[in-house]
Amino acid sequence: MREVLGFFAVPSLWPQLTLASGILCCLAAGMTRDVSAAATRVLGTASLVVALWMLLFTAKGPVGPLLGLDTLGLAWQILFYAGALPVFLSLEEDDEVPAALLLGACLGAGLLAASSSLLMLFIGLELMSLPAYLLVARLASPSAPLHEASVKYFFAGSLASCLFLLGMALHYTASGSLALGPAPGPMGQAALALMGAAALFKLGAVPFHFWLPDVYESCAPGLAGFLSTSVKSAALFLLMRLASLGPASALAASLPWVGALSALYGSLLALRQVRLQRLLAYSSVSHAGILVLGVGAWAAQGCEPASAAPLFFYGLVYLFMSNGAFLFLRHSGLSQRGDAAGYGKMRPIPAALFAVLLLSLAGIPPTGGFLAKLLVFWEAVKAGLYLPVAFAALASLVGLGYYLGLVRDMFFDEPKWRSSEPEAGAVEVLLWICAVGAGLLGVLPWIFSSMLGRLFS
Amino acid sequence: MLTALWALPALGGVLCLFTKGETSKRFATTVAAAMLGYTVWLSCVPYAPEAGVWGLVESGPAWIFGIRYQLALDGLALSLVWLTAFLTVVSFAASWRGAESGGFSAGFWSSFLFLEAALMGVFLSRDLFVFYVFWEATLIPMFFIIGLWGSEGRRHAAMKFFLFTFFGSLFMLVGLLALVTHYHAVSGVWTWDMGELAGANPTGLAGLLMFVSLIIGFGVKIPLFPMHTWLPDAHTEAPAAGSIMLAGVMLKMGVYGFIRVLLPVFPRLSWDLLPWLGGLACVNILYGSLCAMQQRDLKRLIAYSSVAHLGFCVLGVLSWTPEGVAGGSLQMLNHGITTGALFMMIGFLYERTHRRGLSDFGDLVTRAPWMTFFFGWAVMASIGLPGLNGFVGEFMCLAGMARALPLMAMVAAIGIVLSAAYCLPAYQTVFWGASTAGSVSSKVLDLDLREKVLVWLLCGIMLYIGLCPTPLLDALAPSVASLVADGFMP
Repeated sequence: MREVLGFFAVPSLWPQLTLASGILCCLAAGMTRDVSAAATRVLGTASLVVALWMLLFTAKGPVGPLLGLDTLGLAWQILFYAGALPVFLSLEEDDEVPAALLLGACLGAGLLAASSSLLMLFIGLELMSLPAYLLVARLASPSAPLHEASVKYFFAGSLASCLFLLGMALHYTASGSLALGPAPGPMGQAALALMGAAALFKLGAVPFHFWLPDVYESCAPGLAGFLSTSVKSAALFLLMRLASLGPASALAASLPWVGALSALYGSLLALRQVRLQRLLAYSSVSHAGILVLGVGAWAAQGCEPASAAPLFFYGLVYLFMSNGAFLFLRHSGLSQRGDAAGYGKMRPIPAALFAVLLLSLAGIPPTGGFLAKLLVFWEAVKAGLYLPVAFAALASLVGLGYYLGLVRDMFFDEPKWRSSEPEAGAVEVLLWICAVGAGLLGVLPWIFSSMLGRLFS
Repeated sequence: MLTALWALPALGGVLCLFTKGETSKRFATTVAAAMLGYTVWLSCVPYAPEAGVWGLVESGPAWIFGIRYQLALDGLALSLVWLTAFLTVVSFAASWRGAESGGFSAGFWSSFLFLEAALMGVFLSRDLFVFYVFWEATLIPMFFIIGLWGSEGRRHAAMKFFLFTFFGSLFMLVGLLALVTHYHAVSGVWTWDMGELAGANPTGLAGLLMFVSLIIGFGVKIPLFPMHTWLPDAHTEAPAAGSIMLAGVMLKMGVYGFIRVLLPVFPRLSWDLLPWLGGLACVNILYGSLCAMQQRDLKRLIAYSSVAHLGFCVLGVLSWTPEGVAGGSLQMLNHGITTGALFMMIGFLYERTHRRGLSDFGDLVTRAPWMTFFFGWAVMASIGLPGLNGFVGEFMCLAGMARALPLMAMVAAIGIVLSAAYCLPAYQTVFWGASTAGSVSSKVLDLDLREKVLVWLLCGIMLYIGLCPTPLLDALAPSVASLVADGFMP
């Protein structure tokens, strides 16, 4: 009993505990018939906000043999929880289950952030993934083939889990421990490579990306935003943890190239997409590539927590950009690329907000996307990764083709159809917040540099 | 005080978005006029070049990696700030009568204010990072100006413009990053300050790569051959006011980059590669002129003539002699004013007839004598008639180059002859030639009072600079002297 109480006295885990109690409350609220779905949504949002607020007080340090919190874990929890807020606020299902599932996925990511052993990393990963599979099935868009995406996601995720488990076993054989430490010899290298492949799977980096466009395309836009921000940040965090186990390993050495290829491949395929949600999915493959390149550069410079700030900043900006872009699809009801023609002439304000997000995704100054990309590229240049950076820069240029192409279609073409009335309320407010955030992060980075400085000091 | 130069138009642009119809036009014009007044006041009252080269400096807190929000104003920057503020007013006045017909008029006016803000930022920045951000920020308003309010081929032209210049900017960014990293490796200091980096002088393969990427970045904007192909499309399809800003100010950003960044930072390489770069500038002059001769569209013709004229600017600057750099800077102003006037008058013609082809007109002198007179005036300035502004600038550029590489100057001088060879026949066909069957000359009304005042103003400035360039050259002299002081010419 005393141990249990002692556990609660550890401020490092308060956010996770908040989320866990939030899940319980949501489920309990669901059992009583008179509590409306809106109430569970408020409950879920509140627990996320409280968890975010508690991050201010959480202390770094180890908690028992399996858990512990360090700078990276603390910083990345911000991304996990904040990335989930938009989907919460834009939920439309009339039941309480999505709220509990979403909180469950966040809790998994939170545990991932606070784990100090491979075992806990795996548990966090699974706790995050299982609710995500269910959510994709539950919040599928009406036009999608029944459960196809969810099954695909489940199988791809299971494959990733298997790879991770196999890598863990090899790691244990090589080092005799499941703690986060280096494993010697070729077996250790193989272990890292397998676990790294699992993380890349979750991240949707080439060549492990094949499941991603189908999944993102067939789930509700809000959920796609969640998958591309919170879940991807968690996968990225996992990759960073693994890379820091062996900064000189084959895995770390291959990351810049995997990243550059993903960036280029995602951009090239996005060029040809006719469905907007699929286009954004490929764009997220491309952005994941740049992040992986950043992890490679970070590893090449010795995995100092302080030098992970550019990656965090990228994640933060991407949180606004990606969530905003998916929310716009929800807000406007656009699904085909051709439908975007002339949208700016029908609804100038939402179209202008989307244009800001697109320009930011394309990385054009003075938006946040530019600064984020610049900082990551710069780290890579400092690490001497010139050629991968050149590829990634080429990918940004290709990306202009569809990001800017969409802006052109929206504003320069004549509308071919009457748009439906856009959805007002929370979605609209969130769209504003995302667009303004993505813009401001580029114009006033000074505000955030002090925050980053404090986080990574 | 300097921040206001870019912040006020930006703020005006935001506010303008919330206005409608006539109000937005009046509001935007008021803001632009106020900005012009502000620049004049700034250069008369607080600006004190006697105290040093930099008349005004503003510096913010340091950010990561030595990036620091820093603005500074010297004679060179001041002249371009004037040009920006002045041409913004001119382009507003030129589009007074419904140029924003594509709809969404508030957007039209506020785009120009945003463009003004970004251009001011480019010319004021002393920190290369801030410079780059403003540099890129000019693209977005121009993209919309061409794409929303341009003529038939606007959709394609806007995209081409953006992709080309963004491609160049990527190279520039990589070059700047490499330069800053190199400087850090050498001196142990992270800095993006133009003044500090001016001592870097990287050489070897790494230096060459940085040099070339910066050339691509600046060269696309100038545009330097062979990166010029976006220009004729963009200039032709943009609305008249857009062409004025594009040719009048935006092209100057590239030359400004040469003067401010490229030559001070890479003196050694610039000198070693002078024959190549000078050769490119000569190709610009000759090839641009030859292309201009073949054009059947007035706007395209003037666009190609810009390619040629900017070649002179580059040549003067490359010589890195006091007269060459001063001449190049002066020629930037001249070209801005002359080409601005030409594009404006072509805009007036287009407003009346919706045609721009040479063969669409003829015998305009009987219909529109005033327009004929002023167009002739601007054409004379453009071909460098002594007594008008073009002559002074081109002469100084050539004089500078003659000291560095005499042969190059001789080749470039052919361009002056060529400029007469493409401008005069076009002028003759449109204004003096016989009216052909498909001519729309009968629809052309002569300039009204507003237009006359505008054109008088521009032509007066051409004459003034042509007869009495000393005040302007005096304003430029301290900054030119400090730039060229540690020049590289043996």
